[in-house]
Amino acid sequence: MAVEAKGSRELFKEVIEAGLCTYCGACSGGCPYLVPYKGKIALLDNCTRDEGQCYGYCPRTFLDMSAISQQVFGVPYGEDELGTVKEVMIARSTGKRIKEKGQYGGTVTALMSLALAEGLIDGAILTRTGKDKAASAYLANSAAEVLQGAGSNYLACPVLETYNRTPKDSHRKLGIVGVPCQVIALSKMKQKPPENRPDIGDVKLVVGLFCTWALSPDGFYKFLKENVDLPKVTRFDIPPPPAKRFDAYIGTERKSFPLEQIRQHTMPTCAYCLDMTAEFADISVGSVEGLEGWNTVIVRTRTGAELMETAKKKKKLEIDKLPAQNLAHLKEASLLKKKRALTEIIKRSGSKNKLLYLGLSPRLVDKFLNGQGGK
Amino acid sequence: MPGFEIDAPGTSQLLMGNEAIARGALEAGIGFASAYPGTPSSEIMGSLAPVAKKMGFYAEWSVNEAVAIEAAAGASFAGVRAITSMKQNGRSVVADFVSTIVLTGLGKGGMVMVVCDDPQAHSSGNEDDTRTMAKWFDIPMLEPGNYQEAKDMTKYLFDLSEQLDSICLLRSVTRVSHSRGNVKLGELPRRKYKAYFEEAHDTRNPKQSKFVQNPPPPLHAAQHRRLVKAQAIFESSPFNWYRGPEKADLLIITAGSGWLHTQEVVKKLKLENRVGILKLGTLWPMPEKLVRQHLNKSSKILFVEEVDPFIERNVMELVASSPDIPRPTFYGKRSGHLNEYGELTPDIIIKAITGILGIPYQGRDADYAKKAEELAKNLVPKRSLALCPGCPHRATLWAVKTALKMDGRNGVTTGDAGCYSMGTGATGFFQVREGHCMGASCGIATGLGRLGQYDFNQPVVALCGDSSFFHANIPAFINGIWNKSNYTLLILDNNATSMTGFQPHPGTGMVAMEEATQVIKPEDLCRAVGARVEICDPFDLKQTTDALLGMMADNKGGKVLISRRECQLVKARKEKAKYKMHVDTEKCVGESCGCDRLCTRLFRCPGLTWDKKAGKSKIDTVLCAGCGVCADICPQGAIIKEEA
Ligand SMILES: Cc1cc2nc3c(=O)[nH]c(=O)nc-3n(C[C@H](O)[C@H](O)[C@H](O)COP(=O)(O)OP(=O)(O)OC[C@H]3O[C@@H](n4cnc5c(N)ncnc54)[C@H](O)[C@@H]3O)c2cc1C
Ligand code: SF4
Repeated sequence: MAVEAKGSRELFKEVIEAGLCTYCGACSGGCPYLVPYKGKIALLDNCTRDEGQCYGYCPRTFLDMSAISQQVFGVPYGEDELGTVKEVMIARSTGKRIKEKGQYGGTVTALMSLALAEGLIDGAILTRTGKDKAASAYLANSAAEVLQGAGSNYLACPVLETYNRTPKDSHRKLGIVGVPCQVIALSKMKQKPPENRPDIGDVKLVVGLFCTWALSPDGFYKFLKENVDLPKVTRFDIPPPPAKRFDAYIGTERKSFPLEQIRQHTMPTCAYCLDMTAEFADISVGSVEGLEGWNTVIVRTRTGAELMETAKKKKKLEIDKLPAQNLAHLKEASLLKKKRALTEIIKRSGSKNKLLYLGLSPRLVDKFLNGQGGK
Repeated sequence: MPGFEIDAPGTSQLLMGNEAIARGALEAGIGFASAYPGTPSSEIMGSLAPVAKKMGFYAEWSVNEAVAIEAAAGASFAGVRAITSMKQNGRSVVADFVSTIVLTGLGKGGMVMVVCDDPQAHSSGNEDDTRTMAKWFDIPMLEPGNYQEAKDMTKYLFDLSEQLDSICLLRSVTRVSHSRGNVKLGELPRRKYKAYFEEAHDTRNPKQSKFVQNPPPPLHAAQHRRLVKAQAIFESSPFNWYRGPEKADLLIITAGSGWLHTQEVVKKLKLENRVGILKLGTLWPMPEKLVRQHLNKSSKILFVEEVDPFIERNVMELVASSPDIPRPTFYGKRSGHLNEYGELTPDIIIKAITGILGIPYQGRDADYAKKAEELAKNLVPKRSLALCPGCPHRATLWAVKTALKMDGRNGVTTGDAGCYSMGTGATGFFQVREGHCMGASCGIATGLGRLGQYDFNQPVVALCGDSSFFHANIPAFINGIWNKSNYTLLILDNNATSMTGFQPHPGTGMVAMEEATQVIKPEDLCRAVGARVEICDPFDLKQTTDALLGMMADNKGGKVLISRRECQLVKARKEKAKYKMHVDTEKCVGESCGCDRLCTRLFRCPGLTWDKKAGKSKIDTVLCAGCGVCADICPQGAIIKEEA
């Protein structure tokens, strides 16, 4: 099933006004009409085109999971809770500064630095927080600049807008770090290369972050501003279960908010997302339950495997096995997200045969719905 | 080279109507002139100010019309002849003062106000008829039918004003003010004034000053007596006359531009022997005896006048209150023969006359006008009303559009009078959502900004120019701060009163007589009343957009963004274009995804054209002002700017 020719009009109707926008930024940056601002895509003026790439690359317009999987991995979308996997492991950076600044093990930062040093990429599109602690994406050109991105900001950030803005004719090899919906949008671009935008062939490395939900850059930011002294915050964290907290650190001092209080500020669209582990990335990275200072790493592609290999060889990462119990938990959590999202989608559409944006075989729908994801 | 001020009595000069008025003022020996610019009146002060110094009188551009007329009254009170001029909008601004000065009368110096009306609203937001207002002002009023009269009447009104001890009004219209004709010049008196305010307090004889309108009713009655006196004088005024047969098939009563057209039409129709024309120059009070004398010339009377049925109503009133006059049939606005709006054309008058007289007349093909338009269309390039290439307002309005859309709360703008009021249309991206009069942008925004209690959460941005800020927005702005209204004032400061011809204003550091003066900065004024002020360069679209977004997000009152850049027309006189622009056709994606012809479809600077065949944009190097702004809006980086 091919994506129908639709443009910004339909994007607004079906995605943005429907509350499904993830704020990934895929529609923006290459378009003068669509601009992300405070958690929303603004329409600056009337685009008259019937067909637009904005619609095409949006992760919340028709998403043919199998076609995407074929494109990225050369195999159809399967039933593994974690998507296509070469290897799962735990890792952490060996660099002192990275470990200090990194969210958990600093694996992502270490990998992006290494990719730069190895010439796999010439630049990395990352996300950093300013003094005001708002998230903004940027292009890092050196190890020092990569380090600026270390640490997680849980606000949704239109990273792909920055990608779309990179000069079309520079042909620099790029690496991108993003949350699952961003990785999906990038995969859509790989499937049908964009026009009048940067060459998707230049994206040599996609590192995905695990993600259960992102917070609203408008509502949650306001909440934070009212409740913590933002410029002084040194780190945010959502520690792995069973913590159920959102933490803001000022130095060693911790201010915690129960997740229940935070949840009203999550992006509503995250409830409809099946992907916890960024299944179409080269490498996906998250936290490890019960192992502070380490990352769970899922290697998915050859590019990913080679980079991990180099990291190990060059001692940029310390690597170990993911304990079996952790793996089981991870799978459970991932499946739970799929199950919940499908339930929400069906609740909204009213039918198992109409899955809003999602193109997934009935067999897999049933499999995920009946899966043992609950705890 | 001397112009309208040439000292050559008896010779003829080709003068514009407004120059003729200015000449009349010179011949009357004025000592004081004041005005606020406004089309079609601006050339009166525009002529007087440059010669003021050498002719030995004082002239100023005032901050607004009310101040201008009050300043002129000050001169009159101290014995100095004074003239003040304005357009019809300004006449409404001065209304309160005029209503009171007719009660007190003047000093020894005669005082004339000139109002240039704009039937058809060529350059105005309305086409108000000052004549109707003169009637409720109780002010004697004349209207010239040609350039000679424009001069002669102006001069005469000073004498009349002193004779009556009343301010007098000269009404003109665009067609008279802005066209040219021969004027026979009179003497230029060299008056030496010794100004003195005679109503100073006298210890030996303490009493209320003459210049106090107290108590009004008897003063009102006194003004009515002055009008009776004026009427008596007007009965034999040389500005009124009749041309035509003793007994006419049709009597036309007309004045001003109506008369200009009427005489032409009657001649063209060869009806001089059948149609009589009573041309009035003294319009208020109407010389009733004179009119009465002519009413028996015909049983059919047509009134030819623009906009309001002013003469028509006055004559009807006269007939209604005079049982001895035989009832003629009246034709005009009431009968539907002429419009009560817009300008008159010879065609309309021809239609009225031939219709009344039952004369078949086919001047030209029924669809002549259409054909002519078709023909003319091919001779002129297709162009709609647009801000100039390189105009800073375009950039500001683009930033306004961006900021309002990003903000996402359906923000609204209130407009004022100035070039940026073109922002109501496509050239300003339809960003101006409300437009009335000078000073109203802050006023209306103040009201909107106080509706929070009714769930109003649309951000409000008041737009005004630098000149309109000083004109009448300051009180409204202070009101907003005082009453804690929530809106942002965006001053589009191009350091000029551009729309009317670059007259100086308090922010320019210049006065009308071309002397330097203190610069009054809008930012200083706004800060002084406690507003948060930021200044941006509209050509920095991002800075301007961000600044506006920041202000809109701030819910506390007193927010002012000054978008400052010199008017391109002024700049172009002094310096060359900054950039040489071209379109990289390789990069231009035209109507494809990633642009959809943003520059020529939406940004619409006249310096950009669309090459339909190639499907690419192009720079029109003749029109392009080299401002470089379009390079920043092009999403593909295809518009290239190079330092020129
Ligand atoms: C919105 C969000 C939700 C997440 N939810 C989970 C979760 O539920 N479970 C889990 O295990 N992990 C989650 N993570 C991932 C986790 O926070 C860490 O980013 C990840 O484990 C990598 O750790 P690290 O030590 O290697 O990170 P670092 O080396 O510190 O690198 C962090 C990287 O994250 C990127 N980044 C930071 N903020 C953002 C952002 N707002 N959007 C996109 N990229 C960003 C930076 O560019 C940087 O490269 C989430 C991350 C985000 C941004
Ligand atoms: S999900 Fe991404 S691509 Fe879709 S509308 Fe939102 S920001 Fe744009």
